[in-house]
Amino acid sequence: MGGLTFSADGKTATLQMTNVPIIDQPRWPAMDAETTPAFLDFKLVFTATDESVKYEDPMRQYRFVGFKAIAKLEGSVRVPSIDFAFKTDPLDMSKCDFAVMGEEVNGKYYEPSKS
Amino acid sequence: MAQVDSCAIGLTRRSWLRLGIATAVGTSVVAVPVRSQSLPQSCAPPIPQNHEASNGGSCPYPIPWLDKNGNHNQAAGPNVELSNIYHFKGKLARCSGFQGMGADNQGNRHAWGTPTTDYSYMAGEYWAARQAHQGVFAHT
Repeated sequence: MGGLTFSADGKTATLQMTNVPIIDQPRWPAMDAETTPAFLDFKLVFTATDESVKYEDPMRQYRFVGFKAIAKLEGSVRVPSIDFAFKTDPLDMSKCDFAVMGEEVNGKYYEPSKS
Repeated sequence: MAQVDSCAIGLTRRSWLRLGIATAVGTSVVAVPVRSQSLPQSCAPPIPQNHEASNGGSCPYPIPWLDKNGNHNQAAGPNVELSNIYHFKGKLARCSGFQGMGADNQGNRHAWGTPTTDYSYMAGEYWAARQAHQGVFAHT
């Protein structure tokens, strides 16, 4: 379970989920890599900066308009069958190389920009 | 929606992101805040009965030039398609290259994250089965 929430000004978005069923697959991408059930909790926070961005490709029919952002992540993973758990440091201790937030249109919703 | 294919530096067998994570989260968008839950029902194309038209399933359509399995083997960055869904309009945020530190349940400190440690959300409208659908999706 979890949720996606936006601040009133729309500049901050928080995605938080708990007990997401995942798999632990240490030998991935080997074709016969065995899997073990695991669970993920995470909190992801995007905060928009004032630097706008626009990525558009008419040939591929997509346009993203938004802002560069700061993204922070904290999370934990549990693999019950082997009694393993890992927890990241708090949110503000993480770093992210690239983040953007905004709005996208593509495919049938796409119309090329006039300019 | 997609697969996490990152691996943690220093973590060995229990790699934080050798976890092959395939998470799809969907729900109806009503208002902000948006609540979400795992997709329980199938979106596979139904078999038409009584000569009804076949319009396909309600699964979101993948980006045509990317991995059809939804792995989205393209790192987030400037001037690339950031969406995981084709025929989509709505809110989207994407980030990659997370890095940080953490500890396991034995108290051992490990670094986590690589350039492909990638998360996103998408919230809006997508087109499938010849009609619009509302959804919220997380890419982990």
